[in-house]
Amino acid sequence: MSQDRNSALDRLLLEAEIERFFSAEAELLDERRFDEWLALLHDDIRYWMPIARNVRFNQPEREYTREGAEANWFDEGKDTLKKRVLQIQGGDHWAEEPRSRTTHLVANVRVDSVAGSDVTVKSRFIVCGFRLEHDVDLFIGKRVDVLRREQAALKVLRRTIYLDQSVLLSRNLTTFF
Amino acid sequence: MRLSDLIDVEAGTLSRASFASEEIFRRELERVFARGWNFVGHTSQLPKNGDFFLSRCGTETVIVSRDEQGAINVLLNSCRHRGMPACRYDSGNGNGFICSYHGWSYGLDGALTGVPRFKERYQGKLEREKWGLVRARVAVFYGSIWATFEEAAPSFEDYLGADMQFYLRALLQGPDGEDDGYEVIGGIVKWQVPCNWKFGAENFAGDHYHGYSHISVERLSVGLSGKTSRHNFAGVKVKQQPTFVADPARGHTIRASVFAALAPYDDQEAASAEVNDYYRRSHEKRQQRLGDKSRLLIRGGVIFPNTHFNSAGRTTIGLWLPLSAGRTEIWRWLFVPRNAPNAVKETLREYYLRYAGPGGMVEQDDMENWTAAQRGAESLVSRRYPFNYQLAMGLERRARPDEWLGKDVTITEDVTEHNQRAFYGHWARLVADAS
Repeated sequence: MSQDRNSALDRLLLEAEIERFFSAEAELLDERRFDEWLALLHDDIRYWMPIARNVRFNQPEREYTREGAEANWFDEGKDTLKKRVLQIQGGDHWAEEPRSRTTHLVANVRVDSVAGSDVTVKSRFIVCGFRLEHDVDLFIGKRVDVLRREQAALKVLRRTIYLDQSVLLSRNLTTFF
Repeated sequence: MRLSDLIDVEAGTLSRASFASEEIFRRELERVFARGWNFVGHTSQLPKNGDFFLSRCGTETVIVSRDEQGAINVLLNSCRHRGMPACRYDSGNGNGFICSYHGWSYGLDGALTGVPRFKERYQGKLEREKWGLVRARVAVFYGSIWATFEEAAPSFEDYLGADMQFYLRALLQGPDGEDDGYEVIGGIVKWQVPCNWKFGAENFAGDHYHGYSHISVERLSVGLSGKTSRHNFAGVKVKQQPTFVADPARGHTIRASVFAALAPYDDQEAASAEVNDYYRRSHEKRQQRLGDKSRLLIRGGVIFPNTHFNSAGRTTIGLWLPLSAGRTEIWRWLFVPRNAPNAVKETLREYYLRYAGPGGMVEQDDMENWTAAQRGAESLVSRRYPFNYQLAMGLERRARPDEWLGKDVTITEDVTEHNQRAFYGHWARLVADAS
């Protein structure tokens, strides 16, 4: 086989592995196996979801609020994510008690770059949340993940979540993305 | 509509229709929102001439701008020709605004500067000085910007009253007691909740009875004290007296703690050494600057009707924006002390994000509860039964423990619905027909 073909196959295998990783991750969230989900996150994870702004066409850098400096929907590390899980698991976090039924779809998965043990992956997501009798949440957007391979396992080192809404049309963000 | 259709002051009850009736909602828009003063933003959002951002006055979208002379303008964002928004960007910098429909253009101060075909088709006769964007009355109070379109409204200072001027000024003082001590973090948090705006307003006005809502975060350590709590003052040892202050004639309310004595700093931000050092230094400066009044710790409150704020190491100001009787949009500005080191600003920012708004571990439970309360206000049978606001009724007093807490206000110490009663008393007088 040619060198090109080998490298294309490597890329396909990597993308297939990452798609399976994201599908399994989504299943953990939808089955509320949050401790197992936390185990997929690197201890140094940065979990960042900026707020979209309506700006002039020639200022795309201002469209999303900045990490580490401005208001964001989320901008946190693993300590806070663990607390969110503990909060949901207690049965006394009313915004998730009784719990929402969620479905996480991840699509258009594409490896953007590989650097050493880190893989940068772009994807699209649809997260549906149905809660109590009548409440519907629909979150659609784009994700950029940096996955780090450690001892053969992939861990999420960075997750950037670009939600397409600017004013959030849901009252709460109690699900993970 | 009579006052008694809304409220029973003697009994301490409020009709559930107050939250569900579209007729009451229409009255609120005209009699409460259109007539009051509205927080629209902060001067730190407009550092340079030409800066602008969009905000709201009740139902109205407004442009808040700093013009070429450095003056702050609040303009109705509605082209005078066909009502289009003159500005379609949440924020930016420029020399004016052009309507995207027919191209009328306006200066940063709202003046109509350009009209296509002015000479040949308007024959040069259109009175451009009369067709500028509608300008609101503007007040800048220690950095906060306020506006109203009501010509008959009193001055902002009179609208606040002397006592609330003291509290709002105190809210805007940095941790070291310096006036206008805060700046806004970029990005306004905006979200929608399917409930009436007053559920949020009454909660912020004075509800310290709802601890049960937040038991899930009280199990965890969300604040900066390093202790298990959502608040930073969990570790303060000197006795603090929860104090609820209301101006019944104007509807404004304050939640506060008054410390029994001037005491040294108590390591209430102990989760981070650098943050703790900053607050220790600030605590000492504040005591020097404000003396006995530095025993006041504002926890939050409402400037009538819909400007709400939280404080006590977590300064945010927001708006309950009425969309319908059953739907509200919430806007929230996050503030950090201007003179704090970056590490302090960053720690506070992360604290706000995990505390407040739809991603906030504390406020998520508030939103859930208000949404459920709205259902309880709407259904046919349940809405026949009024809501109960009798908590600590009859315990309010005018004889204050400390003279500087105010002269026109009533005060109740410890958990009470005193502030909610004052808020709704004023609200109901505005909404009902004069008897």
